[in-house]
Order: sequence, then structure tokens, then C-alpha cells
Amino acid sequence: MRKYNRYLVDEIGNTYERKNQYLLEIALLQEEMEKVGGQERKALKEKVQELLKNKGKHPYHQAYKAYEEEKSLFWKGLKKESKAYESTLEKDLSRNVRIFKVQDFKARKKEIFFKNYIELGYEATYYYEEAKLEQKYYPEIISTYTEYQKHLKEAKEQRQKLSAEEEAQAKERFKEYKQEKKEELKNSIESLKKKRKEKLISDKALKNGKKELKHRYKKALTLKALEAPKKANQELIQNLKHELKEKPKQLKKTLNADIADKRRKIPIEVEKTKPVIAYSTIFLPGLGQLLNKQFVKAGLFLLASFFIYFAAIPYALGYGNYQGDGISGLITLAEGAPRVYTSMMFLIEGILAIFLVLIAIGFLGISLKDIKGVEEKSIRGIRPKNWFETLENIKQEGFPYVVSFPALFVIIFIVVVPVITTLMLSFTNMDPQHQSKFSWIGIDNYRTLILGEGLAGSVFWQILGWTLIWTFVATTFAILIGFLLALITNHERILGKKIFRTIYLLPWAVPAFITILFFSIMFSPNGALTDIISNVFGERIIVKHSTNLTRLTLIGLQGWLGSAYIFLLTTGVLQAIPSDLYEAAEIDGATIWQKTRRITMPIVLFQTAPLLITQYTFNFNNFSIIYLFHGGGPFNPTRYGNLAGGTDILVSYIYKLTMVNQYQAISAAIILFVSLGVMFFAYLGFRNSKAFKEERL
Amino acid sequence: MDRPNNGHRKTFLEKMGEKFPFFQRKNKSKLYLSDRQPLTLQGKIGLVIAHLVLIIWSVIIIWPLYQMVVSAFNGLQDGYLVLNRNFEFSLKHFEYLFNETLYLAWVRNTIFISVSTALLTLLFVSFTGYAYSRYRFKGRKASLMAILLIQTIPVFAGITAFFTMHSILSSVLPYFTRQMMLILIYSGGAIAANTFILKGYIDSISTELDDAAKIDGCSNMQIYRLIIMPVAKPMLMIIGLWSFIGPFMDFLMPRVLLTSPRSYTLAAGLFTLVNDFRTMNQPAFAAGGLLTAIPIVLLFVSLQGQLVSGLSKGSVKG
Repeated sequence: MRKYNRYLVDEIGNTYERKNQYLLEIALLQEEMEKVGGQERKALKEKVQELLKNKGKHPYHQAYKAYEEEKSLFWKGLKKESKAYESTLEKDLSRNVRIFKVQDFKARKKEIFFKNYIELGYEATYYYEEAKLEQKYYPEIISTYTEYQKHLKEAKEQRQKLSAEEEAQAKERFKEYKQEKKEELKNSIESLKKKRKEKLISDKALKNGKKELKHRYKKALTLKALEAPKKANQELIQNLKHELKEKPKQLKKTLNADIADKRRKIPIEVEKTKPVIAYSTIFLPGLGQLLNKQFVKAGLFLLASFFIYFAAIPYALGYGNYQGDGISGLITLAEGAPRVYTSMMFLIEGILAIFLVLIAIGFLGISLKDIKGVEEKSIRGIRPKNWFETLENIKQEGFPYVVSFPALFVIIFIVVVPVITTLMLSFTNMDPQHQSKFSWIGIDNYRTLILGEGLAGSVFWQILGWTLIWTFVATTFAILIGFLLALITNHERILGKKIFRTIYLLPWAVPAFITILFFSIMFSPNGALTDIISNVFGERIIVKHSTNLTRLTLIGLQGWLGSAYIFLLTTGVLQAIPSDLYEAAEIDGATIWQKTRRITMPIVLFQTAPLLITQYTFNFNNFSIIYLFHGGGPFNPTRYGNLAGGTDILVSYIYKLTMVNQYQAISAAIILFVSLGVMFFAYLGFRNSKAFKEERL
Repeated sequence: MDRPNNGHRKTFLEKMGEKFPFFQRKNKSKLYLSDRQPLTLQGKIGLVIAHLVLIIWSVIIIWPLYQMVVSAFNGLQDGYLVLNRNFEFSLKHFEYLFNETLYLAWVRNTIFISVSTALLTLLFVSFTGYAYSRYRFKGRKASLMAILLIQTIPVFAGITAFFTMHSILSSVLPYFTRQMMLILIYSGGAIAANTFILKGYIDSISTELDDAAKIDGCSNMQIYRLIIMPVAKPMLMIIGLWSFIGPFMDFLMPRVLLTSPRSYTLAAGLFTLVNDFRTMNQPAFAAGGLLTAIPIVLLFVSLQGQLVSGLSKGSVKG
């Protein structure tokens, strides 16, 4: 059985008497029922059921019906009347004033009509209050508007009357004035400069003084320019136009805010006790909002409906795809499809389809929640929000969602979808023989890698080993160099600190690909460095022909490149260490080594640790240096097969597998390995960061 | 030197000091005025060694760069760079670069991509950073965790998909070029990490300003525009700068995504001067590298403080 409360409640918990006598009667009876038991209760229950059954015969209901008929007549009449009223208005009124006047007229009529029904229900009360507010504001809006219009008209008329003679005079005056001021400015600056020469003021003061003088000069000129009648008139017209646009807007906003206030204080009475609309219109967002009389919102949700039924679902079913077959394409992977159709397309379009469907479900959920919330509130007595209120609400509470939506969208389609594609790809057999059509093969790729089988998998462990060595040795080497240099340079007795610091910045500042390629050129068989090395050792050593030498060179090169960044970082930290720490240590008789070990190292390490870890991850994925220096070579097919060279690390191997040799599936499996590794390192890095701890995620 | 002379005869040095000020200073420096301890012999040797180390490393850094500059201007170098003791100043490699290669197109492409990436990243990140720092909304913690996770995924994880995704996108939007895809990848990949950095930075700014603005009737958007953006400007500048520099440095993504030499970025384009024997011209590469490096080096040298502090702020203080 339906259950009604005796009182209506608004958002902040104020209670209001019911005006619907019929519902009030039921509510009172139900309240009674709570108190008594047994026979009496049954009798009351019957009475309630009687009431519910004979709803149409209840006097209140009849009165209300009459009101509703009257009301619809009134609305119709009002439409006609306002049209008639509009035609009586003067013809030369502007469109806006016309609209405002008609609104005002309507408000007056509304007040008269709804005043009679205030006692009957809260709807009439609300309309009455609204009309009263409108009557308060519209005359004001009209008067301000016409006033500004009048001023504008006057200003425009004045423009016609401007005499060319006066304008010319004003221009002449302005010219003179400008000359005068310019002279003045020049003199003032001269005197400032003189003061500077005499060392009365500082360089900075001179600069600021100049700035201020120039600023003042400009200001004076702008002011003077306004004395010219034409210019002044122009400004005035511009101002008035702006006011004309903004003032009525402001007043209307105030009116809306006042109405919103009234809406909060005037409850609503409905007969339903369950959110019926929400569940019955669940599959068509927008309809429920329409039934709740929230029209703009309904329009927006209808767009969502449009997206669901004309984009997401057809796409998921395979209509409108580029090549694929919606979600089912994920299973078939283009098997049996025409030759030009590729499995890759089917895979990606399937994933896209899944995301579109997820978004569609999200829309459905949001709509359901919205309608349900409105309905549940109106059952309690809270009036649904109008568009003005909704908009304010979105601006307040919805703000973070609205502003981060574009970012979320891009992240989903640029980061998440490709990553999931890669993940899925690792379970297929995409290789040179299966380029356009491939199929699901489960975890075979991972098995191949772990067991080191096949052409692509056999070198995996070797490459992984070298990758780990490379990451550890190259990074540590660079860190050591950078740290040592920073330590030395920061010593108080070192001369020319600034020069050294600028030089040490260079490897970081010059784009790495340029330096790497240039080193690669110099290490080529007839390159400059090869010549020098040969001269030193007396025999021809070509670094690029030997795996071990190339590896050593790469580590050295990374030391050259990476140390600069570490140097800068460490220098920054070192300079921030308070010197009293060292002084205290000196007084206690500490040696240089002790000071370094006990003070410098802990502080530097503590502050730079997360960044040092990112250096390791960076080198783990340092594609540029490996690929650009020697393309991963030298090649040694007996040891490394045809797919990889002696210095290839995992990233460059992935690149070669994917872009050159077309072993995409295996490469996807390796990517997964690598990503997990990188994520682990990254986790180590930010685990200790303050941000991570404070958020307590 | 108006000391009362109580029967003390001025020494020669004092007299000289009165006449020649510089002599006087030199004379004074005989007194040990520094508050540092005087150096022992051991210390002196150490200092010399330290200076030697620094100078040697400077030479190691400068020599290759010097070689690059020299070979860019050396008219006696041919297609392959060799150790050449003879030098003849010439701009012919630069002429080759501008006339025979697509260098200018590469510069245009790179600048287009860099600027768009920086702007797009800033647009995304300034909003998300603000939202995550200042608002407590539903799903905040979960999505922050997701962001934390996503920022660790390396960009190349998606290389296999990007190509195909571009063909799907360009079938819907015919004007969607590969370069635009690259821009989206760069800026999309930068959102997660930079959101975190900016959020940390805005967290460290007290909310008093926002509260005051709110009391004065500012909307959220106005607070963002008038309060947060100006206050967070240093960090935004750093984020913008790094996103701007990224495409200059990156080699992998253009290599994967861009196919025609006309659409290459500098990194991919200059590489063709070195590795492709048809277009091989190493001195021209040196010239192009030099031209590319100079503005970036100037940028780095002038902004080194901000760049480094931005990085450490982002991850240490977070």
C-alpha cells in the first residue's frame, strides 16, 4: 500500500503542511494506524483503501480538477492576450523591450489568476510567487534598458553633430600635448640616467623608474586623447553598448536566483510514492527528464540516447565499422572476411566497440540516477530543479567532472585502448606468415619467450641479460660521474665554477639524438675517433665491429650524456645544504671524507632518490642511444640470429620485431614484460614520495 | 693612512702604499684574512688535481661538440666526415641543408608538433591538476590511483595499435594527419604524469586565495582563470617547456608513425642524412644538428634553474 507522510520536507529539512486535502486525509489516517492495533487498525485500513478507490469522488480532487481545467484555459487565453497586448505596444520599441514588456504583462495576469488558488495547492503558490518576483524585476529591467537605449541614442546623435573643426583643433591640441609630454619624459629619463651615473640610484631603480615614467606618459596620452570629441564619443558608445548588454543580463540572473530561492522554499506534492518513471524509461535517457519537466536537461540526455542507439550499439554490432565487425570481430579476428580485411583492424575495432558500449552503459546509469533522484526528492516534497538551478549545480559540483572529461577521453583512446590492444595481441600469432590474418593462440607467445624457443624467442634471455646489465652499469656510471663532478665543483676553493657548470650542462642541453649520431659518425670505420684510437694503440681498432667494444662505448657515451643531468640535480641539492652542518662537523674535527660520507651523501641521496630511479627506468627504455649509435649492432647471426644485434636492448628489439621483422605478437608479449618491469621500478620510485604517502591511496 | 705617527718611521712599503693604492692592496694581502683554514701542501695538491679533473672532463665534453661545429663549417669535408686537420671556412653544408634537403619542412613540422603538444598538454593538465587538487569528488581516489598506474606505462606500449588507430580515425576525419596523431599521443601520454606533478604543486599553495575569491563571488571557472593559473604559472611553464622540448628529442614515435620524409620531425629527418646512403651527407647533418641544438641549448642554459627545480619539485615534494 502507498504510504504518505503528513508533512512535506524541503532540501534543508524544513517541514510544510500538505495542501492536498485528499493526500492529507490518507496521511492522517495512516498516522493513526501506526498508533493503534488490532480491530481498529483494520477499520482504518479499510477506510484508507476506500479513499484510494474513490479518488475521483473526493471533494478536493474535484476542486483540483476544476482548477486544472481553468488553468489550461488560462494558459490558452494568456497566449492570445499577450499577443494582443504585444500588438498594442508602440512599433518603435526594440525587440528586447518588447519581450520584457510581454513578460511583465504575463506576470501580472498570472498573479491575478493564481492568487485564487493559493490554498488549493503548492503549484499555484509557486506560480503566484514567481509572478510576483517577475513583476518586481521586469519593470526595472525595462527601465534600465530603455534608459541605456536613450543614452546610446543620444550619444549616436551627438556623433552626427561633431564638427570637423573642433576635431581638428582637438587633434592639434593633442599633438602639442604629446610633444610636450614626450619632452618631459625624455628629460626625466635623462635626469634618472644622470643620477645613475652619479651612483645615486641602483641599476634596478633606473629600470623601474624608466618603466614607471613610460607608463605615466602613456596614461596621460590616453586621458588626453579622450578630450577629442570623436574619441570620447566612441568610448561612450562602446561603454553604453556594453552596459546595455550586461545590465539586463545581470538583473535577469538576480531574478532567476530569487526564483530558485522560492523554488527551494515551496514544496511539491505528488501522488506517486515510488520512482516509476526512472525505471520505466531506463532505456531511453531524456524521456524521463522530459516527464519530470526538465526540458533542457532532457535535450542533453536525448543526445546521449542518440549516441547510444545510433553510434555505440550499431558500432558494437558491426555497423558503421571501418573494416571490423564490432564486438564479435574480437572473436572471429577477420577469419573468413575478404582478403583486404585485416585481423588487426578487427581487434582494435572490437576493443573500441567495447569502450563505446561501456560509455553507453555509463550514460544509462547517469540518466537513471538523475531521474530517480529527482523523483525520490519530489516524493519527499522537494521541487525538481529548473535549468537555471541545474546549470548552477553543474558549475559547482559537476565542475571537476566536466573539466577533466576531455583528458579522460584522450587517455582512454590514446593510452588505454592501445595498451589493451597490445595486451590482446600478445595472445595471437601475428608474425610474418600471419600479417593480415591472425588468430588467438593463448599463452604460446609467453611460453616461447620463457623457454627461449623459435627465431624471435631464442635471443630473449640474452637480450634481457644485456638490458639489465646496460641499465645498471650505464646509469650507475652516469650517476657516479655526475655526482663526483658536482661534489668537486661545489667545493669552496674551486675557481671558475660558473664556467664549469655551464660546460657540464651542455650534454643535457644538446638534443641527445644529435650527439649520439655525431658520436656514431666519429666511431665509424673512417671516423675521427677511430683514427685517434688507432693512433694511440698503434693498430686499427674499429669499435663498431666488436660487440664488447660497442657495449663499452655505449656505456661511456651514456656516462657522457647522463652525467650532465645528475650533475645539475646534485648541484641544486648541494647548494641548498646549510653550511652550518659542515662548520659544526669541522669544529668536531671531521675530515673531508667524513663530511662527504656523513652529511653530503645522505642528503643528496635522500632528495634525489626518486629521480635516480627514473634514470634507471629511462635507460631501461633508452631506445635512442642503442638504435642511433649502431642500430643495435654489430650483427652476429650465429649468436643473435637475424633479428637482433649484439647491443640490442629490449626496447630496440621490440622496435625491430614490430616495425622491421613483423613479429608483432611476440613483441607484444615482450612489451608486457617490459611494462611490468617499468611499472615496478616506477612504483619503487613514487612509493616513498610525499605525494603518495599523503594521499593514502 | 692618517695614523698618528708616534715616532715610528714609515717603512718603505708603507710609503709605497701611500703613493700607489694597488701596491697597498698587495701589501695588505700578506695578512691572512680569509676565514678558511690555510691550505696544507696536501690540500694544495688536491686542489690542483681537482681542477685538473674538472678541466679534463670539460675537454671531454667540448671536444666532440667542437668537432661538430668545425665539421659543419669545414668546406673540405665531403659526404663522410673524417679527421681533417685542414680547415677552410665555408657555408656550403648549410646551403646543402637548406636547398637539397627538407630541413625547413622538418623544422616547421617539429615546431608545429611541439607547440600543439605543449598547448594541448597544458589545456588538459591545468584542468585536471586543478580539479584533483581542489575538489573532493566521487571517484577521485580511484581515478588518482588509475592515473598513477597509467603514468608508469611507457608510450611505446601502444606502437602496434597507433598505426591502425590512425587509419580508423582518418576514415572518420579525413583531415586527421599522422602528425596530429603524434600530437595526440604526446599530449595524451603526458597527461597522467603531469597531472600528478601539477596537482602536487597546487596542493602546496594555500587555499586562502581561492576561498577569498569564492567569498567575493567568483565561479569555479573564474578561480581557475584568475587565481590558480597565475599562481601555478611557474609549474605550468615548466610543464609546457618540457612538452615543447619532447618532440625535439623524441626519435622513436616519429620513426614509427611518420612515413613520408616531408612529414618528418627534425629527429627523424636528420637521421636520414646519416643512415640512408642515398641521402647521406654527414657534414650537412652536423650543420643541421648545430642549427637545431643552438636554440635548445640557449633555452636550457637560460632556464636551467627552473627546469631542474621543476623536475625535483614534481617528484620529491609531489
